Amino acid sequence: MIKIEDIARPADRLTEIVPERMVPLPPPYDGVDALPPRKRLTDRARANCDCSLDGFLAVGMTRPKTEEEEQQLIKRFIAGLDRLLSPDDNWAFLQQLTLSLDHCARCQTCVEACPIYTASGRNEVYRPTFRSELFRRIVNKYAKRGGKLLAKLKGEDIEVNATTILRLLESAYRCTLCRRCAQACPMGVDNALLTREIRKLFSMELSIAPKELHENGSVMQLRVGSSTGLKPRVVKDTIEFLDDEIREQTGLNIHTPWDKPGADVLLIHNAGEINAWPENPMAFAIILEAAGISWTMSSDLAGYDSVNYGLWYDDAQFARVAVRQVQAAKKLGVKKIVLGECGHAHKASMVTADRLLPKDLDIPRESSMTFLRDIVLSGRLKLDPARNAFPVTLHDPCNMVRMMGIVKPQRDILKAICPQFREMAPHGVENYCCGGGSGFAVMSAFNFEDWRFLVAGRTKLKQILEAFEDCPDPETKKYVCAPCSNCKGQFRDLFNYYGVWKKSGILYGGLVELIVNAMTDLQKPYIKWEFH
Amino acid sequence: MPPLTLALIAAISVFLLGNLCRVVKAMLMPVHLRWDLYPIPKGPRDRQRYGGSYFEETEWWTKPIDTGLGGEVAFMLKEVFLLRGVFENFRALWVWSLLLHWGLYVYMVSAATAVAVSALGAHLVFERTLLLNAAFAECVDACTLGGIGSLGLLATRIFNSRLKGFTTRATVFNLSLLAAIFGTGLIALFHPNRGMLIALAEIVAGRHATGAYSSATVCHFALVAFFLVYFPFTHMTHMYMKYFTWHGVRWDDLPARFDEGGRRAIAKNLARRVFWRAPHIHEAADQSWAAVVSSSGQLGKTEHD
Repeated sequence: MIKIEDIARPADRLTEIVPERMVPLPPPYDGVDALPPRKRLTDRARANCDCSLDGFLAVGMTRPKTEEEEQQLIKRFIAGLDRLLSPDDNWAFLQQLTLSLDHCARCQTCVEACPIYTASGRNEVYRPTFRSELFRRIVNKYAKRGGKLLAKLKGEDIEVNATTILRLLESAYRCTLCRRCAQACPMGVDNALLTREIRKLFSMELSIAPKELHENGSVMQLRVGSSTGLKPRVVKDTIEFLDDEIREQTGLNIHTPWDKPGADVLLIHNAGEINAWPENPMAFAIILEAAGISWTMSSDLAGYDSVNYGLWYDDAQFARVAVRQVQAAKKLGVKKIVLGECGHAHKASMVTADRLLPKDLDIPRESSMTFLRDIVLSGRLKLDPARNAFPVTLHDPCNMVRMMGIVKPQRDILKAICPQFREMAPHGVENYCCGGGSGFAVMSAFNFEDWRFLVAGRTKLKQILEAFEDCPDPETKKYVCAPCSNCKGQFRDLFNYYGVWKKSGILYGGLVELIVNAMTDLQKPYIKWEFH
Repeated sequence: MPPLTLALIAAISVFLLGNLCRVVKAMLMPVHLRWDLYPIPKGPRDRQRYGGSYFEETEWWTKPIDTGLGGEVAFMLKEVFLLRGVFENFRALWVWSLLLHWGLYVYMVSAATAVAVSALGAHLVFERTLLLNAAFAECVDACTLGGIGSLGLLATRIFNSRLKGFTTRATVFNLSLLAAIFGTGLIALFHPNRGMLIALAEIVAGRHATGAYSSATVCHFALVAFFLVYFPFTHMTHMYMKYFTWHGVRWDDLPARFDEGGRRAIAKNLARRVFWRAPHIHEAADQSWAAVVSSSGQLGKTEHD
């Protein structure tokens, strides 16, 4: 059995993923032979990075090459611990952090709630308390008075060396921050919060974060306007092209309004939708026009991309993006912002940024789930549920549901328009993460995708297959409604990896696509049963 | 003043002061950003049942927000007295944990009853006897429940595969200490001449003579005194710190537009200096959070057109 203190000890590999030991998937997914071959790390990655946690790399931080570099790394890491405990540097999360550091009873009540730990066959390294307890011992020893002596007395002595630091960093990217464990904790301790604080230390002190979240994520968004790299002119051209697509596909004549001052609604999509799932912004446009809503999109910096990757790893990046998004709304003088189908964007803007915004920037922000529920139930759209006569289940994005309590509106819609709607078990605030949470859905460097599919997404896949166990035949087309861009990204890759479309005929998509598919104004079905 | 009385008074003082310091420290923490976690026991009952929030309402900012504490108190009572979370998530631990917790609660009641005895006038013989008998019964129950609970927990912590890798020296020490307190309590209670509760009543009244009590009684009170001094420095303060972890963090869902005080406190926080050293944080040295947020980091000019 792996012990916490093993983290500091040199070893080629602390643990490894053995598919045979993992939670089995139902047939035809139960054989391990059918899985795609694992991605091999390049010789360069092996030589430069430390993959000794579990053989996978998410961040791939370069190993210090000299003793001096190692000492420098340790010194800066310990300085980062001090900043985490400083009211100046960490006022935003200091209370949550200290409460979770100081009040864990080590009772392990939370561990079975973790879909990663259980799916892995209860691998100790993925136990939610493993990382927390390791971090707690490091903080107690290196950032508190008398820590070194107490660590020895209590038998909780962890040596901070380069191996410990590199493994701790990788370990912080083996948790999707879904907070199921926090829900189960009787003390109110939050392992996910501790994980986020570890990520924050690395980003804000050591400038180390996954490239997809930082350089190609929040930095890109603040520089060009969107983490996709889409500049305003390009995004406007793309949406114009999508308006043409709508015309061609449905005969509806729609011109997406841009930068319309005084509109009732500023709609902000996750810009990833525009590139990867254009049918989603198209469906939004069809619904809003059909319902007669006064709406607009913004071409301002961050005004057309609701993502906020800082939520997962960096307070400064988080705050910068959150403020710029509402500044775009303020400039247009809209009555409210409606957030498209993106879970973390909901939480970032409506919850975490709430107290950060000065009064003049506190533009009301509403979920598209509620907004769409009101449109659908008001009767403003002519809908025929018979058009959605196929099995549908609903995935609850953690950020929108467990962390915001938006549970019922999307269900009210599905119950009204999908006669074969069925729930997953468990669902609502007790849902399982898709496995792409906290940025994982956009992270594909090194061999991290293999871990994401084999471990992180396993519980969700099992749950989806079980929801459709009465109709496993691939000829019966089925739909997983995932009203979140990151979750859809995970489903696309996960389904592709396991061949779910081919073997089970399960498609994933958003909520608005189902609404438009039920609209009687359209001659042809909106949903194209093609996997992409 | 007799030494045992003195020791108990000193221990209780440290206990109160230590716990007060922890509470004050938690209260003086800077106002933090929201970190809600549902279900939150607020709002209409049918919504609470599935974990819904005010965000489900159309234009939620135009509707009244439920700030009532009724739901929170009801939830917390179940948590404190029935250990709901452990019951639902770790049944093997729950039985022993429940016994230990109830042992502690009943012990506190019996101690309070014995203290009440000392407050009664000497002429109220019937009332004194009645209260002492009640305290005796309570204390027997408490020590039995607590003793079984702490030993059961200790065994579970050591032998249960889910727990053993995470059972620290401190955990073993804490549970052994509690087992010793309950064990010595039980022995002291049944001392033939001067039972532990009479001793407590006398100690509180400052009337006992050194050496007059059984060694089990002295040992018991010494352990209790040590526990009281030790308690504020352990995670066992979760007993009351739950107020902060639950009410102060995960249930703290009051929107800023309904909390002007909170907004002002955050504005003050934004004036704090930032010392994080990653290059993307600062455009200039010694910046405030407000300056950092309005900057783009060391990114140069934006390419936004």
